[in-house]
Amino acid sequence: MTTIASEYGNENNSVPIEHRFNPYSDNGGTVLGIAGEDFAILAGDTRIVSGYNIDSRYEPKVFDVGDNIVMTANGFAADGAALIDRFKSAFKWYKFDNNNKKLTIQSAARYIQHLLYGKRFFPFYVSTLIAGLDEEGKGAVYSYDPVGSYEREQCRAGGAAASLIMPFLDNQVNFKNQFEPGSDGRVKKPLRYLSLEEVLALVRDAFTSATERHIQVGDGLEVLIVTKDGIKKVYYPLKRD
Amino acid sequence: MSDPSSINGGCAVAMVGKDCIAIACDLRLGNQSLSLANNFEKVFPFGDKTFLGLTGLASDVLTLKEDFRLKHNLYKLREEREIEPETLANLVSSSLYERRFGPYFVGPIVAGLHSKTNKPFICGFDLIGCIDFAKDFIVSGTASDQLYGMCESLYEPDLEPEDLFETISQALLNAVDRDALSGWGAVVYIVTKDKVVKRVLRTRQD
Amino acid sequence: MNTIASQFTQSASSRLQSEYADAQRDFSNAPQLNLAPTIELPPISQPTEFLRAHTDDASNPDCKIKIAHGTTTLAFRFQGGIVVAVDSRATAGNWIASQTVNKVIRINPFLLGTMAGGAADCQYWETWLGTQCRLHELREKERISVAAASKILGNLVYQYKGMGLSMGTMVCGYTKKEGPAIYYVDSDGTRMKGDLFCVGSGQTFAYGVLDSEYKWDLSVEEALYLGKRSILAATHRDAYSGGSINLYHVTENGWIYHGNHNVGDIFYDIKEKEQSFNNVDA
Repeated sequence: MTTIASEYGNENNSVPIEHRFNPYSDNGGTVLGIAGEDFAILAGDTRIVSGYNIDSRYEPKVFDVGDNIVMTANGFAADGAALIDRFKSAFKWYKFDNNNKKLTIQSAARYIQHLLYGKRFFPFYVSTLIAGLDEEGKGAVYSYDPVGSYEREQCRAGGAAASLIMPFLDNQVNFKNQFEPGSDGRVKKPLRYLSLEEVLALVRDAFTSATERHIQVGDGLEVLIVTKDGIKKVYYPLKRD
Repeated sequence: MSDPSSINGGCAVAMVGKDCIAIACDLRLGNQSLSLANNFEKVFPFGDKTFLGLTGLASDVLTLKEDFRLKHNLYKLREEREIEPETLANLVSSSLYERRFGPYFVGPIVAGLHSKTNKPFICGFDLIGCIDFAKDFIVSGTASDQLYGMCESLYEPDLEPEDLFETISQALLNAVDRDALSGWGAVVYIVTKDKVVKRVLRTRQD
Repeated sequence: MNTIASQFTQSASSRLQSEYADAQRDFSNAPQLNLAPTIELPPISQPTEFLRAHTDDASNPDCKIKIAHGTTTLAFRFQGGIVVAVDSRATAGNWIASQTVNKVIRINPFLLGTMAGGAADCQYWETWLGTQCRLHELREKERISVAAASKILGNLVYQYKGMGLSMGTMVCGYTKKEGPAIYYVDSDGTRMKGDLFCVGSGQTFAYGVLDSEYKWDLSVEEALYLGKRSILAATHRDAYSGGSINLYHVTENGWIYHGNHNVGDIFYDIKEKEQSFNNVDA
């Protein structure tokens, strides 16, 4: 409640002025991580939107954060950038303080939980993914909710078009609802690791499909591939409409 | 959530193949989180080769199903022939628009073959009757986002009936498995010029 | 003789005194139980209202930040120890975010915590509880009792009461002096000891099966099956429960994991074997 002067000099009105603290916006975009036997990928489209405007057609959002770990935080771009900055800075201190010790993906994963939960009552509005190799050299993808609950998975889509992509991944990566021909739906198609070529084909299909049906997805697709030899970046154009 | 279109849950999808169409739906009827029935079909035949799918508020689904049955019967009496899918689509559209300011909370889809030419036809509507004429596929219901993702990535044009069955089944099954309010069984109709095959799919029961 | 005796008494008591003084200094210097790490708050006058507006989907269905909810968990005591069974689905609104959530947190080899409500709240505070239990062990040279462990968690969530934490958990464990024990702890601050609990959106369905078949004298095999069967019933009827079932048995030697059972697979097996679930066609 505040007192404001009206147009008439001696008349004062008490008017409630509504203040609503809204520090969040949605910058769209979608991300996707898949783990293979000896590699892992993190992919994201490169469009940034606010409302119906396209603010950028090429703004990378998947980053190499060091020690063969890639990370993305999709949703509200400012929170995403802030989270990744915090991680990178903590990573630097970890290296200083621990004689350049390698940060394992498990430790990175747990640390990100603490970064996110540290803002439990003022959350980062992001869905976070990291990818890399575990201590056995197997591909690993970790996914988070906005306040830090996390899980290691074979694959995960996050962001605006997660609901379009995730069922496709269930079907094509984990072979959900697929059965051996002639078994009358009693024998499941056996699980197997996908090759990098197969995974990249799925990622491109997933993103072209999402681009077709989601207005916040498009322009370009940037994929970061993690193998024991390091991180490789590939770019594929997407429709720009 | 008190959004009328997502109280009962459920979804439907239709696809065009080579000289054939397919239309499918889940079987769940619930009251928010409580699943009540697993035999609630959302696809209804109108004549030999024309089908109407209705998702959304269950009471409106039943009301409209009966309303269109009545109108279909009157049509047959007056015209002495079966209704064409295009005609049914326009009937659905105009009936829904009559309730422009107090709509039925439904997401109808129509799929069928022309009675003479056997030309495939599918279309979808919003709740007040705006028709979406699609050449490939139409989705509707609480799992529509998931269905869009599945259909857009699995669909290809000119599939033979058996391949179309596999495609629409995989699209539906994997979509409903990511929606809390859909599932609990599924039904698929494959319509070709001289036969209609109805298949009930075995699905997860959670 | 006296001088010798007094010398010994003197030195013994002074050693004791110095140890006591040392301990006291240690305790007063470092806060021994760092109850909670710092959590940032939004820089406004009503942080809780802010959080509710942006994250609570009961009062604000179209809020942006969806926090995973929906669950069925159960634990019960019986002749052979404790059975813990949980589902594995996480939902955000009607969207099924995951079918593979691990809702049993292994606090240590003798303690389990179950997870219902906010996934992050449970995961975070129960792993934190694990560290507190380990510190207790190091300090007291003895495993923590289930009562004490659950009380640490209870006190913690009580500190945050009204801030919007959401958790309904069962702390299950075995110690020599308590035997098998289950404590229900939730974010309102409730903490109670009991023999049988079901928690989550599907709790009523699980109670339905569990209450009708439960006996103290259940064999281990029967008890495990009953736990699994109760969760199965809940995953069937509750839209927000499902995925797979994780089973645990807590004994005097700690907990034993009894596997992950995919509902999609076991449903029809159990239906056929029991001739149950007759609302579903084969």
